[in-house]
Amino acid sequence: MKEENFSPEQNLQLIQTMISKTKQDMSDNSIYFLVWGWLTFFACTGQFVLKHIYNYEKHYLVWLVVIVGIIFSIYQGRKEERIKRATTYIDDSIKYLWSGMAASFFVLGMILTRLGWGTVVFPFFIMLYGLGTFVSGSIIRFRPLVIGGIVAWVLAIGSTFVSYDYQMLFGAAAILVSYIIPAYLLRSRNKTANN
Amino acid sequence: MTQPEKQLSEKESLDLIALMINKAKDTRRDTGIAAIMWGAVIAICSLVRLSEIHFGYKLPFDIYLLTFAAVIPQIYFSVKEKKKRKAKAYGDVFFDNMWMAFGICIFLMIFITGSMYSGLKPVMDEYQQLTGHAAPFNFYEYNSSFFLLLYGLPTFVTGVSMKFKPMLWGGLLCWVCCIITLYTTVKIDLILTAVSSIFAWFIPGLIMEKDYRKAKMGLAAANV
Repeated sequence: MKEENFSPEQNLQLIQTMISKTKQDMSDNSIYFLVWGWLTFFACTGQFVLKHIYNYEKHYLVWLVVIVGIIFSIYQGRKEERIKRATTYIDDSIKYLWSGMAASFFVLGMILTRLGWGTVVFPFFIMLYGLGTFVSGSIIRFRPLVIGGIVAWVLAIGSTFVSYDYQMLFGAAAILVSYIIPAYLLRSRNKTANN
Repeated sequence: MTQPEKQLSEKESLDLIALMINKAKDTRRDTGIAAIMWGAVIAICSLVRLSEIHFGYKLPFDIYLLTFAAVIPQIYFSVKEKKKRKAKAYGDVFFDNMWMAFGICIFLMIFITGSMYSGLKPVMDEYQQLTGHAAPFNFYEYNSSFFLLLYGLPTFVTGVSMKFKPMLWGGLLCWVCCIITLYTTVKIDLILTAVSSIFAWFIPGLIMEKDYRKAKMGLAAANV
């Protein structure tokens, strides 16, 4: 049987369909962006309040909230595993990217444990937030994520000019523009498209 | 009796197409030249800096300026490869964007670590003036760790996405070396950086280049 060749238009349409499907999948999975986004936002602002306003010595304990995120991710991941579905190339790329990001956050955590968490830590995290969202946004061609990533990079530079306390607020702002706002926009966009 | 053909729903059709694309996606089309060049450049920079420290001499210029100079041939290779590509595969878009983001992050890392270093230097100098000996904490010792952390990310993601094991292992090696450098001296850090760049980029680049040449020759033979 002769293999049917796709015309350039058909190829383009196929890619568009894949992108739309991944956007839809990402919107379905935006719960991860939102849970991690809000937890990190809460931790950054909470640490600022505890350290800067209340002068609480163990201000860093607020970061224990990430345990909630880890438990949630494991639970949600297992739940999704049960619903097996075909994945596109773009789905896989996003999955590999965020696996790499998770490993990078872990390794960065090890560096900072050795260097001291009281030193300049936020610019590194903000830079990595930007990398993940910029690449994700570029793959699914969703501009708010791309812009969020670029703004996070600008905030990473800006945060080096302020004291440790205010770097926490830069961290919160980066999370807001690169995780939380794009996740809500993606959700509302797909809701509108589905309606 | 033939079984009636099952009609696929729109979702099932889409899933099937996606699976088919997934099967065909692993084709590596990179010439590997950029990986060879960057692997060599980073290894040379690290080893020259090591020899400067070990033998106590100083070049009239910073050897790491070589990385900025390497951007020029990188642009040349990218433009040349883009011209060669008849169509841009979706994987190319992903890898192009990821490596571009990596490049931006390298500049950011230079900036952040530089500002950290300049912020800590007066404190270190004052410590030395007061105590008469160097501070036990030297931020410069952590420089390699931060860069190895970044080197690992796009290398690992590229390796796992392309199902190209040399890069996947190379990326993991960068992260392992990153952790080791936290406990070693600057000299060892530089050796580990050179080793990482050779295994993460230089060797995978050579394999890619060989595969690319083979594929090109095969294509030429088929056209004869």
